Amino acid sequence: MKSEDKLTLIAKAIQIDTADINPQTELKSIEEWDSLAKISTIAMLDKEFNKILNADQIKQLKTIQDILDYMQ
Amino acid sequence: MFISYYTPKAILTNEDLEADFSSPSWTASKIFRKTGIKSRHIAKDELTSDMAVSAANNLLNEYNITPSNIDFILLCTQSPDYCLPTTACIVQERLGIATSTGAFDYNLGCSGYIYGLATAKGLLMANVAKNILLITAETYSKHINHMDRSTRTIFGDASSATLLTEMDINKIGFFTLGTDGKGAKNLIVPASAMAIPQSGVTAVEEKDESGNIRSLNNLYMNGPEIFAFTLRVVPWLILETVKKNGLTMDDIDYFVFHQANKFILTTLRDKLNIPEEKFCIDVEELGNTVSSTIPIAIRRAYDNKVIAIGDKILVAGFGVGYSWGATILTIG
Repeated sequence: MKSEDKLTLIAKAIQIDTADINPQTELKSIEEWDSLAKISTIAMLDKEFNKILNADQIKQLKTIQDILDYMQ
Repeated sequence: MFISYYTPKAILTNEDLEADFSSPSWTASKIFRKTGIKSRHIAKDELTSDMAVSAANNLLNEYNITPSNIDFILLCTQSPDYCLPTTACIVQERLGIATSTGAFDYNLGCSGYIYGLATAKGLLMANVAKNILLITAETYSKHINHMDRSTRTIFGDASSATLLTEMDINKIGFFTLGTDGKGAKNLIVPASAMAIPQSGVTAVEEKDESGNIRSLNNLYMNGPEIFAFTLRVVPWLILETVKKNGLTMDDIDYFVFHQANKFILTTLRDKLNIPEEKFCIDVEELGNTVSSTIPIAIRRAYDNKVIAIGDKILVAGFGVGYSWGATILTIG
């Protein structure tokens, strides 16, 4: 999957524009990054990449790149 | 199997929440879009015993059952009138049920109805009881901080009453149950009993990173981690239960999961490839009423003719504890 497509998947989960994020974007700087955005991201990673994050992994998500790292 | 339910009069709408939180990003329509919930009922002055009695009275009246026929009361709640005495004892007295009845409370949430069915089936099969009143009654609203969006949006108060008799033994299938105390801290009222007694200190409110306000006396819910747990456990739970009952997914006429919120339900439905018309989503009007969601959803599905006598319903509860369970019911 191309990186742009991965960014689009993330943006869709968080419900923002793909143009508003890049790999270095800090999650805490995104206003929409609330519990529901985290839940949508967990759902997306499970559906598209068969990965269900555990509690520690969820806690350690700090940047968009951290999410991209699970998208393989 | 007879099921009735009760909802308190006061209603909390998304518009009310929008006004309370007055944040431009938290509008009524956004709340609905994100949760699938439009309203929830809230018990103001009613205690769990009041709600239990109301649901039970609805059952007795709707199905012409006399209290003297009941010989056991099971009451599922996480907001009892008292730590002691048992709320079920109070309910026995108020319903005018004979003193030769057995009764106890059990402390479970989202999985509560399943465990109630399992216990009732055991009592019936062992001839301990013949006519069991299984009640779920929950007032999570009393644990929730007024300024905590994460929980106030989701939970509603309600109660249900189910009559289970010997005729229901072969209508309740085999169970799959599970428990994982590692999840205990993810859905908790920290200062609610002996571990952390309530005090001036526990009442101190703090704001979390999302701006939600709560104290140790309030309900805390780690939504993302509970969601991840649900994805890990529930699909397996469903498939295992179907297999244990000697059936296939296609044999199931209707799936009634614990109605936690719309997003987790649609995610589970899609993950399990369950057709939309066979999958119950009924959170819009009542929200997440904890142990009452499953019995209420079954009753409403029956009233709306979505299910009928003879249908095989897979019921699955999962959440606080962590605790989970599922079985298959034949509507009768």
